[in-house]
Amino acid sequence: MTGTENGSDVVLDGNAAAGLLQEIFVSDITSAQIQCAACGSVAAVGSLRLYAIQMGAVLRCRHCEGIVMRAVHTPHDRWLEMTGTRSLRF
Amino acid sequence: MRAIETAATPARPLQWQQAHVVEIVVETSRVKSLLLRVASWQRHLPGQHVDIRLTAEDGYQAQRSYSIASPPEDELFALTVERVENGEVSPYLVGDLRAGDRFEVRGPIGGYFVWTVEAGGPLCLIAGGSGIAPLMAMLRHRDRRKVHIPASLLYSSRSLDDVIYRNELDTMTRCDTNLRVVYTLTRKQPEGWLGPRRRIDKALLAEACYSPDQNPKIFVCGPTSLVEEVARMLVELEHEPQTIKTERFGPSGA
Amino acid sequence: MSKSPISRGFKSRRQETPKGRLPPGQYVTTDFPVLSAGPTPQIKVENWTFALELGEAIVGEWNWAEFEALPQATIKTDIHCVTKWSKLDTTWQGVTFDNLLKAVGLAGPPAPYIMVHCDGAYTTNVPVADLIDGQGMIATRYEGLPILPVHGGPARLLVPHLYFWKSGKWVRRLRFMEKDERGFWESLGYHNYGDPWKEQRYEGD
Repeated sequence: MTGTENGSDVVLDGNAAAGLLQEIFVSDITSAQIQCAACGSVAAVGSLRLYAIQMGAVLRCRHCEGIVMRAVHTPHDRWLEMTGTRSLRF
Repeated sequence: MRAIETAATPARPLQWQQAHVVEIVVETSRVKSLLLRVASWQRHLPGQHVDIRLTAEDGYQAQRSYSIASPPEDELFALTVERVENGEVSPYLVGDLRAGDRFEVRGPIGGYFVWTVEAGGPLCLIAGGSGIAPLMAMLRHRDRRKVHIPASLLYSSRSLDDVIYRNELDTMTRCDTNLRVVYTLTRKQPEGWLGPRRRIDKALLAEACYSPDQNPKIFVCGPTSLVEEVARMLVELEHEPQTIKTERFGPSGA
Repeated sequence: MSKSPISRGFKSRRQETPKGRLPPGQYVTTDFPVLSAGPTPQIKVENWTFALELGEAIVGEWNWAEFEALPQATIKTDIHCVTKWSKLDTTWQGVTFDNLLKAVGLAGPPAPYIMVHCDGAYTTNVPVADLIDGQGMIATRYEGLPILPVHGGPARLLVPHLYFWKSGKWVRRLRFMEKDERGFWESLGYHNYGDPWKEQRYEGD
């Protein structure tokens, strides 16, 4: 973190979405290796480029900036979209 | 102390718990450390963070993430907070909060930006401003365990008065020849300052960090702009990208 | 579920605002927070085009000079982000949706829904009924100056009576649709319509 303050949203590291992702996956996946469906490159979830943390999580590939995973926690549901993921290895 | 792992930890849903403020420590004119007690706290790994949630009387809630600055060996856990101009949460935590107050925390969170002595070294830490917090958890853990794995810290601050934990870091280096700390002061330097007085550049990194063939474990934490620059320069200095772990916290900070 | 404990002395940033001015759950901010699903596209106006599409057909297309030559309008309005900040009395200039239809010779919209396509592969869906009659604009100026890239420049959609995620930044195409389809956030748990006055933030609200 420390202090994701001041209301502005810029690119962070996937690690900053660890709490949201753990709500969905129930375990911490930030150390898991994820493969981008667009370009095939592999990286730790915690090292992906994280956008829009105020609204959820949009995790992008470090290599091609393609969206690898998206997640949102609403008061009613948790949503996860992984069409940009070829594989996830825990 | 458990070795780094997430697989062996039984999966449990994250839950909000009450944290009680036991003590507040003034670190600098803008920074305080909050020492907290949580009833059923799972010991964290150095580098992990918590989410905190404040609730106002009218029900309004604000949520932020803060790195845990204390090592798992300590009884209370500590968050180090810098007051951000026009912030919503940090002025409250640094200005209004008193011992005895409470708020909610959730965690510990994050297995990616983590180091324990079991991972070995050498350990190379690069901090900008309040980005020192999770790295301090790592250094304090190393200190409590009395394991003198070679470690270096390159710490960028605006002035000497803005260096957080300065006395503690100086004490650590005095007692440990395997720990090296370099402060660079970017805006104001005291009379007779012999250390670097500029933003972190390749020369400083090359000097303060271990060489790539020593295979250091590298952690960089601070404002986004500093972290991006440093990560880029480290790769140019031929460090493997997978050995560099970064934690950005937005545009604020030193 | 037990209620969260009150943190003594913690106040939101909500300022005193005239009653009825703020939708429920919002607070006023004087800065302009940036929220993006991706990196800021750096768009050169020399290469910029904007199009209206119907099915496979392009109904109208403009380059920057042509777009700037269209009739301009200025509006002063409040904007409301789903993340709870609101900004009052913001001034925007651009081309209204009505004038776009006029420019391509359409008396009325040829289909009931629009998918907004933006650089960075961002999309959002809006009923045409919420864009006509001055409710929607392709904005190119904010407070009299060209919109900064980080705020959606050179051109963004502005449909301020809905939550601001609908005012897609870096807009490039408006595609008419016979049937409603969900855009980027709408397909991931956010409300399909997004009326701040009914606090329609999420699907199920």
